[in-house]
Amino acid sequence: MQVFDYRYIFRYWPEMIPFLGVTFLTVIISVVFGIALGALLAVGKMGKNRVGRILANGYTTVLRCTPSIVLLFVMYYGLPELMIGLFDIDINNLHKGIFVIVTFSLLFAASMSEVMRSAYESIDKGQFEAAVSVGLSPKQAFRRILLPQCFYVALPNFGNAVISLLKEGALGFTIGFIDIMGKTNLIVSSNYGAHSREIYLGLALIYWIISILLEKLLGKAEKVFGKGRRVLKTN
Amino acid sequence: MTFNTEFFMKTLFTALRGLPVTMKITALTLLISLPIGFLFAVIRLREKSVSKKLISIYISFIRGTPIVVQVLIIYSMVPSVLAAVFKGFNLPINIFDLNPIIYAYIVFTLNTIATLSEVFRSALSTVDRGQLEAAEAAGLTPIQAYVRIIIPQAMVTAVPNICTTTTNLIKSTSLAFLMTVKDITAVAKVEAAYGYNYIEAYMDIWIIYIVLCTIVELFFKILEKRLRAYKA
Repeated sequence: MQVFDYRYIFRYWPEMIPFLGVTFLTVIISVVFGIALGALLAVGKMGKNRVGRILANGYTTVLRCTPSIVLLFVMYYGLPELMIGLFDIDINNLHKGIFVIVTFSLLFAASMSEVMRSAYESIDKGQFEAAVSVGLSPKQAFRRILLPQCFYVALPNFGNAVISLLKEGALGFTIGFIDIMGKTNLIVSSNYGAHSREIYLGLALIYWIISILLEKLLGKAEKVFGKGRRVLKTN
Repeated sequence: MTFNTEFFMKTLFTALRGLPVTMKITALTLLISLPIGFLFAVIRLREKSVSKKLISIYISFIRGTPIVVQVLIIYSMVPSVLAAVFKGFNLPINIFDLNPIIYAYIVFTLNTIATLSEVFRSALSTVDRGQLEAAEAAGLTPIQAYVRIIIPQAMVTAVPNICTTTTNLIKSTSLAFLMTVKDITAVAKVEAAYGYNYIEAYMDIWIIYIVLCTIVELFFKILEKRLRAYKA
């Protein structure tokens, strides 16, 4: 049996860390698409249209009950078939990152729609009425008064959703996507599994550091955007 | 598009054979994690000691790393540790004869303890301190005060979050196939690989997970209604 050699924890960091770029890129693109789709869903949930409400709520319920890995597999194997069947387009050779991004955008949209809805509903209705009564148009009132407040309320939940997206994104390796997780797996298998414990522990450390940094950043952002806001004092 | 309906129906029932394994992992994990998670929450709230610091680091690590990485760490670490232990005690157990479900229990328990201790911590902090003081002043011991006064009230706020934890746990168990555990996902993967019917097989388990999680959510909704009686 091999002995635990702590040096292996850091030994491959120089090879692994460049692939953080791929990880971050997929996260950022998924966040952008997820916010767009999530906003659409949030509008659907709060709208007057009954069909829209049912569709948006149904989407969230289904996605909330879906393991990321199952959705990833369904997308990876199903999307090419669907594209051929519907549009006669062959996307079998598409970059695997696309499937990862599609999957996590869909998942992120579901949680984002809930974050946006709860943030919007937390804002006092009087804010809108007051803004309109001082002469702002409803659009202006939304953009200048409601949106900044929503943003502040949504920030902690948004941050948590991004951190869990970062972690879930590690599943991309199961379809052969090479981000930092995929690269780590390649290193492990090129070593024939030797020192896999230490190498995976090293990877965990990288993720841990990023998560802590993101949380710190989030705390800072909350302070900046919460300026001038009177919050309930808790001790 | 070629969707093999016959295979779809057949595999739906085949995949259900993995359901007991998924349920077993979920149930046992919760059973172990609930008391330990609660204990950790109480320690983090009451004490200012080394144990509190250690628990905080543990929770931060679990929450800051992907569960799939935790799965891979445990699966590459625990067998050799166990083998050394068995050898040390001269136990005639071969590590390869062990059911890999043990590793699944370890990973998901470690993970769920961390989540639940956060759930309980926030739930306990919603109960007013005066409640504990009043209970103690009325002559209850601290343990009695917790069991009869604090916990029932904290439960009301904890139950929705325990529901989320449970559904997340069910979803996470789909990663157990990485440790060669034969749960729903693993069964579907094997079935799919025979004839390259991946879409049908994964649609099957998708449906199973949705139904399973919906049932769990319904159960917790009912529980929540019952518990509301405790809320003043």
